[in-house]
Amino acid sequence: MAYVIVEACIGTKNTACVQVCPVDCIYDGGDHFIINPAECIDCSMCMPECPVEAIYPDDEVPEDMQHYITKAAEFDYSGIAPGVEVN
Amino acid sequence: MAEMKQRSLEEVKALSVEEAVEIMRQAGIVGAGGGGFPTYFKYKNPQPHLIVNATESEPGYWGDKLVHKEYLEEFLQLFEAMKAIFDFEQISLGVHEKDREWFADYAEHADEGVYDMRYVPNTYALGEEKTLIKHATDTRVPRFLDTPDGSRRPGMPPDVGIIVNNSETLLNIYRAWFLGKPLTTKFFSVYGEEMDIKVYEAPIGASVSEVLEIAGLDVETSSHLSVIDGGPYLHDMAIEELGTGHDAYVRRMTNSLFLLPKGRQGKEYADIETEPPEEGIVSLVGEISGVHLPLGGGLLTPATPLVSEGDEVEYEQKIGEPVDEGFSIGVWASAGGTISSIENDIVAIAGGAIPQEEAEAEAEPSMAGGASPRGEAEPFQEAERSG
Repeated sequence: MAYVIVEACIGTKNTACVQVCPVDCIYDGGDHFIINPAECIDCSMCMPECPVEAIYPDDEVPEDMQHYITKAAEFDYSGIAPGVEVN
Repeated sequence: MAEMKQRSLEEVKALSVEEAVEIMRQAGIVGAGGGGFPTYFKYKNPQPHLIVNATESEPGYWGDKLVHKEYLEEFLQLFEAMKAIFDFEQISLGVHEKDREWFADYAEHADEGVYDMRYVPNTYALGEEKTLIKHATDTRVPRFLDTPDGSRRPGMPPDVGIIVNNSETLLNIYRAWFLGKPLTTKFFSVYGEEMDIKVYEAPIGASVSEVLEIAGLDVETSSHLSVIDGGPYLHDMAIEELGTGHDAYVRRMTNSLFLLPKGRQGKEYADIETEPPEEGIVSLVGEISGVHLPLGGGLLTPATPLVSEGDEVEYEQKIGEPVDEGFSIGVWASAGGTISSIENDIVAIAGGAIPQEEAEAEAEPSMAGGASPRGEAEPFQEAERSG
C-alpha cells in the first residue's frame, strides 16, 4: 500500500504534503511531487493536506491516472533528496 | 446531572446522551492517541458504529496494549454501557494482526455479542482513523466532500456513520462515568537510547526531566541526548539537550518520551523493537514534585481558572471550569499542593507526595523564569531554568 500523487499536482506543487510526511518519502519529481512507494507507510497524513486533491490511496486512483502508480514505482529516487529542493 | 460520582453499571446505562457527553466534557477527556480532539464532541452526534482503536503504530509502543491487558473488565462494562447510552448498532475492537494473541481474552468475550473483533494488517497507520476504517470495514471515508455551505473539506469518520476512539481515551471515559474520576493522568512509554522501556501512568503536566530521572536516567550528565515527545515517526522535540536547564511537560496526548543522541532523527529508530516491561504499567501519581497543567491549548479554549496563586489544592480537585465558547473542557489537579503560578493559561502546582524539602528543590528549576511551558499541541516552548 502507498499513496500516489496524480495529475492535479502539475502546475500546483503546493508543498503541504511534503511538510506533513513523517517519513520524508515525497520527492520533487519534476512536474509534480512523487511518493516513493517503497518508503510510504500508508499513514494518509498527506491526503487531506493537498489543496488540489491530487493524492489518492493506490487502490483508489482513478482509471485514467493509473500510470502515475507505475511512474512512482519505477522512478529513480537515488539521485535526489526527499522534500523541496532549496538552493 | 453531570456530577462526578461513582455509578453502577445500571446507573451508567441509564445516563442520557446529554448527561454522558457532559460528564466527558467536565472530566476533561481529550483524545489520548495523539490528536487531542475533545472527546465529548465526538459523541454529541452518536453514530451507528464505534471502532475502538487498539492499534499502536509507532515502533516500540506498548501503552494501549498494557491498558487493555490491565483493564479488561472495565472495557467490557464500558462497551455494554456505550451500547446502551449511544445506541450503537456495532462496537468493534480494531487490533493489529500481530496482536491477536495479546487480545485473546477480548476475542473470547466478543462471543457475548456486545462487540466484535476486527483484525487489521500490521501497517503503520499513526492510529489514523481513516486507515483503520478502511482495513476494519468495507467502508471508505471519502477523501474530500462538499458541504451544504458550498465549501469542501476532507472526509471524516462520521461521514460514514463511524466514531473512532482510542483505547486509553475510552478507559478515561470509564473512569469518569463509573468511578467519578476526572482526567489527571497520561499513559506513555519511556524508551530509546540508554533506556530499557518503561510504561508509566503519570500526572498530566509532570516535568519530563523528573520523569526521566525516575526512569533511571541521570539527566544532568545526559547533555548528549535529546528527548522527543512521540515515537520514531511522529513526534515533537521536547528537550533538545538534556541537563542544560530546559524542561518540558507531559501533555494530554504524550504517548512516549523517546531518548536519542542529539542530532539524530527519530525515524532512524524505525526498526526498534521492544518487549513489554515486566512490571507492566507503573503509576507515578503522587510521586511527582509539581505539575504544569494547561487550561486549554491546541483546539481547546482555555477553561476559567477556579483557583488563585497561593491556594492549596487537593489531588483531583477541579481547578478549571469549561467555557461555552469553542471546545473547552474541565481541568482537574493532577497533583496536590500549592498553586505557584497561573500564567499563559498554565496552572503550576508545587507539592506532591515526596518530602517537602526535596519537592521544593526539584520543583524550583522547572517552575522558574515564568516562561510558559509547552502547551497542548503547540510549538514547543521550553521553560528555562534560571536557578
